[in-house]
Amino acid sequence: MAGAKRDRDEVFVEYTKSICPVCKVVVDAQVNIRDNKVYLRKRCREHGWFEALVYGDAQAYLASTRFNKPGTIPLTFQTDVKDGCPSDCGLCPEHKQHACLGIIEVNTNCNLDCPICFADSGHQPDGYSISLEQCERMLDTFVAAEGEPEVVMFSGGEPTIHKHILDFIDLARARPIKVVNLNTNGIRLATDKRFVAALAERNRPDRPVNIYLQFDGFDERTHREIRGKDLRERKRGALDNCADAGLTVSLAAAIERGLNEHEIGDIVRFGIEHPAVRSVVFQPVTHSGRHVEFDPLTRLTNSDVIELLAAQCPDWFGKDDFFPVPCCFPTCRSVTYLLVDRRANRTDVVPIPRLINIDEYLDYVTNRVMPDAAVRAALEKLWSASAFMGAETTARSLETTAGELDCVACGIDLPQAVKELDERAFMIVVQDFQDPYTLNVKQLMKCCVEEITPDGRIIPFCAYNSVGYREQVREQMSGVRVADVVPNAVELQPVLADSPYGSKVARSTSSDGNGHRPAIAPDTTNVGRKAVER
Amino acid sequence: MTVPEDTERIKSCCAAAYGNDAVALVLGESYHPGGLVLTRRVAEALRLRPNQRVVDVASGPGATARLLATEHHVTVDGVDLGESTVANARSTTEKAGLGDQVRFHHGDAECLPLPDNVADALVCECAFCTFPNKEAAAAEFARVLRPGGRAGITDVTIAEQELPEELSTLAGWVACIADARPLQDYLRILADAGLQTLRTETHNDAIARMIDQIDARLRVLRMTSANRLTEAGVDVDAVLKHTGLARQAVADGLIGYSLLIAEKV
Repeated sequence: MAGAKRDRDEVFVEYTKSICPVCKVVVDAQVNIRDNKVYLRKRCREHGWFEALVYGDAQAYLASTRFNKPGTIPLTFQTDVKDGCPSDCGLCPEHKQHACLGIIEVNTNCNLDCPICFADSGHQPDGYSISLEQCERMLDTFVAAEGEPEVVMFSGGEPTIHKHILDFIDLARARPIKVVNLNTNGIRLATDKRFVAALAERNRPDRPVNIYLQFDGFDERTHREIRGKDLRERKRGALDNCADAGLTVSLAAAIERGLNEHEIGDIVRFGIEHPAVRSVVFQPVTHSGRHVEFDPLTRLTNSDVIELLAAQCPDWFGKDDFFPVPCCFPTCRSVTYLLVDRRANRTDVVPIPRLINIDEYLDYVTNRVMPDAAVRAALEKLWSASAFMGAETTARSLETTAGELDCVACGIDLPQAVKELDERAFMIVVQDFQDPYTLNVKQLMKCCVEEITPDGRIIPFCAYNSVGYREQVREQMSGVRVADVVPNAVELQPVLADSPYGSKVARSTSSDGNGHRPAIAPDTTNVGRKAVER
Repeated sequence: MTVPEDTERIKSCCAAAYGNDAVALVLGESYHPGGLVLTRRVAEALRLRPNQRVVDVASGPGATARLLATEHHVTVDGVDLGESTVANARSTTEKAGLGDQVRFHHGDAECLPLPDNVADALVCECAFCTFPNKEAAAAEFARVLRPGGRAGITDVTIAEQELPEELSTLAGWVACIADARPLQDYLRILADAGLQTLRTETHNDAIARMIDQIDARLRVLRMTSANRLTEAGVDVDAVLKHTGLARQAVADGLIGYSLLIAEKV
């Protein structure tokens, strides 16, 4: 007797492309929902099946699609469509969005050797650092593509140890780029007040320089396991020096399951109380580059971080207070803004989405009536990867939004009253960058956070870190062969070997035998064969 | 649930409260649980076709009436008990260029100022629970609907057991809670009036969200215009205590929010 038919334990919702996390070839992938969680699954002919959690709340994942807005076409593209996504970066003419944020990595060297570093940086003898000419070329590439770019971020390595970092900032300020961000571990900010003063000199209201400070929590264990040493005093020193100099700081927290997920609420509370801090950016640890061993099926996702935050600050937030960012793919980034009123006896915190129905403005799919254009435009600038507290665009957009809170009926001039709140607004961002496990080409094609490379390409951040471009650029720049980094996943332990930089690589890396680097992400899905061979 | 003694007093108090500065301050203009998202869901379920006539009972500032007119190309008769509310809704609608398509009437849900069998559909959002004589209101819904016409109702529901004492006071009534009934009671009241329920949906998140919004609005007013709140007679701490109780009641399953679609038999 034949057995009874059974149903699958999952709902199939998307068909897409990804890469094999081991050999980085392009493979077909599927997205499925099980137990209200979203998983991406794929199969490499050589290395088998892989599956990773991509969103912890399936309902939120599906509901976010209506926040997807039409992309903007950049002024220039740097590459042609040849092999398809993600092998043609970039940006190629098939990319669906311009760059809200451009990143320039000025070096691979760092004054730390963190156990977790997507850039695989550290005290390394064979890295590279860019020259003034290279920086100019990268900035010019960005300006040619964007016209008036919103934000450039200098990163690394550790950018503050590059001898030309102030010159780089000046080069950016000599171009029509609105905001400069400096992504740093804060050691130099804590120890070199002259450097902080030099940054503050360059920080002007119309052309701000914002500090993006790595800040993962308060427990000594958090510091030791994520950064390799106890940096708590350094972080405090850096923040206090920034406050004294009038520099605005975003706290950037890498959150790893089992390490510091219990500190999410405390990081927000601390940020709200510190005079220099105007925003917090939570990033579930990206399992690209160097990281501690992890399980792709239980990794943290955006919805997990939002739920943890709501649970740790129940008086301030619910998970409904976060809204997806429409400029990139809405599942990549969620944002909320708070109005904060600090009094001697209490701190009042009000999420702005409770005051204005964000839904009504940022829903691009089910809305059949065009909402107020000025308010939508303002909210688009706030719910964007280019929003930074301290930036003029962001401040103006907050004012416009406040204007919408007007209450004619009761005769209070709320906009006037809320203008004073501009200083009290606080931003919280949750951004899940993709890694070789979670990479979904659908999301990549609309990415708006881009790496600008010394050879004049603009490459989506997650492609740069996951697909092999980082290794390609490092190899070109340093002249030293760099093997593709493989995620340090539990299930991959048998095939992993150590790279010279602390990350993991495949035990036997394939090569074409001539010592040449294999192509970036060779495609095994669209190989030009007939669908049915006869 | 006891029937309030002085229904007229409470009814006019309720309508006045919705038109009142203090309540406008606290509730804001366009908030009802679920917002326009839930309104659209109701509209879909009503299967509206262009040029049909829809009645909006307790139309408030008119946002729903305007949405139905714009998105479904129907004509709408809004009815509200607050005179100044009707006047405001009228002027906003005229400014939006919808004066021909959307009319507002001053009137009582228990005695709608409209003829029999004229409406293809009827909506009533977050208001049924505030009507002291729900049987009379349901009979009026049935009277103005044509046979086969549908009513879309969203409203607060309560569990079968008693509400916390503090929420059964007049302030609780105004906040749409105190005379809310269990869902089954609404179905029975509608059925007795000749309205057969086709479908019900639970939207408890919507009311939790609305409580959060009221809370947020109050806090921001306290930040920006504390003296104006005092002048309007709003005791922020007292209201925040109420929102806290209401939030807990939602979490405990004592208060919920439902959408129901009924058809005139």
